[in-house]
Amino acid sequence: MQLEGKVYPPYRLKPDRALAAKMLAGQGLADAPTTVPPTYFIFLRGETRGVDLFTDLDIPREKALHAGQRYEWLAPIGWDDEVEVTARIASLAEKQGKGGKLWFADVEYEYRLLPARTLALRETTRLVKRG
Amino acid sequence: MTPLKQGDVVFDVTRPGASREQLALFSAGTEDPNPIHVDEAFAKRAGFPAVLQQGPMTTAHLGALLAERFGARLKSLDVTFTAPVFPGEALRLVARVERAGADLVCALAVHKQDGTQTARGTAVVRP
Repeated sequence: MQLEGKVYPPYRLKPDRALAAKMLAGQGLADAPTTVPPTYFIFLRGETRGVDLFTDLDIPREKALHAGQRYEWLAPIGWDDEVEVTARIASLAEKQGKGGKLWFADVEYEYRLLPARTLALRETTRLVKRG
Repeated sequence: MTPLKQGDVVFDVTRPGASREQLALFSAGTEDPNPIHVDEAFAKRAGFPAVLQQGPMTTAHLGALLAERFGARLKSLDVTFTAPVFPGEALRLVARVERAGADLVCALAVHKQDGTQTARGTAVVRP
């Protein structure tokens, strides 16, 4: 199956204050979140919503590393907003690292505010499979 | 407020090392199912000395600090993770103005207390 370019069926998300509070507590920040944290929307939320990247890309968890993230904010997303999320495997590449072959996958997510489907956020995550 | 110029430090903040409980909270908050952040035995099987702090926690620190300073003017944030972070390791997060033009471009660097760079990146801020 051709994975590069694969687009997953869209899923919907609403920001959840309890999850945001756990993120902040994890960061050591005690205050309750007043606004939706800038990186609240994250690719990981797609894993239980049909975007099973690790299985599709055949990356066993113990061989997976996270190489980076990119966010581009285009419009604010508030607590009462609902977004539609589309994920696309943008690129796959194999590189020779110091300790053997590394395999990179860049996956792009677009978050669109409903009901108008206004593009509000782009997120790219780079996953690595160690050889 | 005086406009920022090239070389200005936007922030230079040290976050204390996170506990294993904090890592578990962050995983729960981001719906991250990867046991490598919470299961010591799993992390060791994967070749690490302890559970790994989430890269997205570094991104979240940077995003929060940038949003605190620039609010909705924050346009983009690009972060590359360069070394793993383990529980208890404090992080020094620095943003410095690289270019002040139509947009403000900030260079980001995150180091552990032993000097190891654990992330680098760029943030772009609207005028």
